[in-house]
Amino acid sequence: MPRNNVFSKVERYYRDYGARAKELKAQGIKVIAYLCSLTPIEIITAAGFLPLRIRGDTREPITIGDTKLETIACPFLRSCFDVSLKGRYDFCDGLIIPHACDSITRTYSVWRYSIGITYSHFVNLPHKVSETSLKFFKAELTTFKNSLERFADKKISDEALAEAIDLNVENRKKVKALYQSRKSNPPPISGAEIGKILTAGMGLPVSESNELFDECLRQIKLKKEIPLKKRPRIMILGSCLDNVDLITFVEDAGADVVVDSLCMGTRDYWRDIGSVDDPMRAIALLYLNKMNCPRTYREKVGKKFREDAEARFGDIGLLINEFKVEGVILYVYRNCDPFGFEVPARKEYLSSLHIPVLYLEGEYSSGAIGHLKTRIKAFLELIG
Amino acid sequence: MTDIQNNAGRGRRRGHATRAATKIPYMVKSSIIDTLKAKEKGKILAYTFVYCCYDEIIRAMDIIPIWTENYSGVCGAKRDAERFLSRAESLGFSRSLCTYALCGIGFDQWREELGTMPQDAPWGGQMKPDLMLSSGQVICDPRYKWYQAVQQYMPDVPIYTVDLPWPVYEDDLDLPSVESYYIEYLKEELHGLVKFLEKHTGRKMNWDKLSELVDLTERTWNLIWETYELRRTVPTPMDTGDAMNTMVPILYMMGTQEGYDFFLELNKELKEKIKRKEGVISNEKFRLLWGGGLPPWFALGDFNYFNSKGAVFPVEVTYRVIEPINDLNIPNTNGPVERIAWRWLRYWTYWYKKAKSRPGSEPDVERLIQYIEDYRIDGVVVHLASSCRTAHLSLIWQLSQLKKIYKQIPCLFLESDMIDIKQYSKLHTRNMIDAFIEILESNKEKRGNC
Repeated sequence: MPRNNVFSKVERYYRDYGARAKELKAQGIKVIAYLCSLTPIEIITAAGFLPLRIRGDTREPITIGDTKLETIACPFLRSCFDVSLKGRYDFCDGLIIPHACDSITRTYSVWRYSIGITYSHFVNLPHKVSETSLKFFKAELTTFKNSLERFADKKISDEALAEAIDLNVENRKKVKALYQSRKSNPPPISGAEIGKILTAGMGLPVSESNELFDECLRQIKLKKEIPLKKRPRIMILGSCLDNVDLITFVEDAGADVVVDSLCMGTRDYWRDIGSVDDPMRAIALLYLNKMNCPRTYREKVGKKFREDAEARFGDIGLLINEFKVEGVILYVYRNCDPFGFEVPARKEYLSSLHIPVLYLEGEYSSGAIGHLKTRIKAFLELIG
Repeated sequence: MTDIQNNAGRGRRRGHATRAATKIPYMVKSSIIDTLKAKEKGKILAYTFVYCCYDEIIRAMDIIPIWTENYSGVCGAKRDAERFLSRAESLGFSRSLCTYALCGIGFDQWREELGTMPQDAPWGGQMKPDLMLSSGQVICDPRYKWYQAVQQYMPDVPIYTVDLPWPVYEDDLDLPSVESYYIEYLKEELHGLVKFLEKHTGRKMNWDKLSELVDLTERTWNLIWETYELRRTVPTPMDTGDAMNTMVPILYMMGTQEGYDFFLELNKELKEKIKRKEGVISNEKFRLLWGGGLPPWFALGDFNYFNSKGAVFPVEVTYRVIEPINDLNIPNTNGPVERIAWRWLRYWTYWYKKAKSRPGSEPDVERLIQYIEDYRIDGVVVHLASSCRTAHLSLIWQLSQLKKIYKQIPCLFLESDMIDIKQYSKLHTRNMIDAFIEILESNKEKRGNC
């Protein structure tokens, strides 16, 4: 990719994540840090705050964090906590933690008292998808909205909520368009570059993120130097990947990462909010029903495993077809119960699609990913 | 499951057990054997989890619960979990996941593959259920992932997941403003469970029986609370080593007359011991709080080791999952399901008011402080079970916050697992205990010199 302005900007925001948030903070905008894709950022935006997702750092050894938090937590969460303790998010005014998994939920108090942020709120998502759970979640989102209003000392208007929803709808559409470019074979842009664009966008106000994505899309269309060699088309499947270490390893080893099923990837952006006649219900649906995360239980379908697997993982199968995926890397962090308990089921589902799969247990550290290189190479040789 | 079961298997018994507690292993064994024979008697079996609040609903529908955590605990206590854990690992499950679940999944997959129980399965094995009842709570991901995972190996068994949330503590939480929608949701979830059970058993709920069982449960809660409060006495008549046995009627027999009667007997026994001034040990030097963590079921002899050093545990956080019913201020309710919902919500928010009154406190920390005061505690011991995030994350913080907002108190942090014996080192654990006892002795000397 040519080093023109927009990609330099992407690189800068990727490396210096949160830099723009700091600038805006200096201009008087309050910044709300949050964990996990399950935080309803539309409501934070509508309150006039800048939501900033907390990232970990695979290159930063976990040190202080491990003195305050048990090492049995998921390594991604431990890294996020460690860099937060080291002051990376000190400029933030608030912290939102959703009811995601045990590692996140059980550490809410630890976060609240350890990182020195005065405002915090826990958003209690139900575990089930049903009409009654939706009703409950809508009420819980109203409690969240009320809490933000108290902190902002102003009401969140319907107009502001509608505008925040629209901006995020646009955001998701643009990301989808970015992914579309990888359908061609060979793709004009690498998976690592897409990963950096998405991460950079995540650190910006959604309106600026939209502008960044537009500019990236324009540059991709203008791109003339398209690789000639077709390489194995790989999908990465897992939980949160907020860096491009693994993708870079895979691509350097001779494959193209063309799509994913990840938080900060298609799991976040492949959702359509639908009707917004009742905005709070629409947001509830978006984060509960439409987010296919294993922490949300979906009622069992059918009497055969295959039927239930199709209901739970069918979205992955669709992406595999759509992006002509030839192999899947299933990358799950150690100590992750929601994903860990699904590994055999996901492998079985993928094998029913006749897709080769490589399962890797991760530690969220650049060094640990390096150790997986041999296995990745062997896998790529296997699928040719 | 318990140390007595564990030690009985190897010809030893805990030295300081109450008479009531010594009956527990036989009660557990007979309940597991009952489940093995239940299908012959036309009974319906359901896999379920401890402390899901709907025990009375299962029992009112005349369904036999199979407590899957219990069976994994039995395998661990009998030091026979490894083959099931390894099997789960060979299926693709990471060893870092909850070992209760891994053991259960490994066992189930093996039984399904063989078409019979794995050879020499502890206490005859665990039967294939007719139904599986998961739950989604604010904590414990394995509660909804375990049975979902196991359905890969027995897809014909229907599953129902009951969502049971409670509001998480916040400094600015206005509990009355959220309770109504929590209660509404809990009620709907519990009614959903009743409908599911009616559909799959072909039976109708007996609402009068359910009301009776709810009353019985509440009387049992009060009786347990009263009984455990007797342990405040110096010397304490019962310690945590025993409570790791007496948790059985609390977690597996709620809503049964047998569970209630057990605590009547224990209550009587403790009163007799108090009258005779008979403690767990004759020379009680240190009173300790088991401040959190599931115990290593294969090594409960460590409680004896504490006892041998003059230390007793008059109180524990683990498995004391009851509060006095009257203190929960449950409003007048319309039917037993609503009553269960309120009891659940008020139990989980019981310590919120106290926490709010002390800056920097949290419900879990407040509970530690209260026990330290009530039971005249000299030190706190916690155990970090490496595969369980639910009961163990935030323990480091709780103890540090305890020292910060309350007082400096010696704390011991033990580490292993609830059933994965590979995580345990007897030598290291005993060294840690020895060092801790030395600190307690030194503190005592300092106090004596003041």
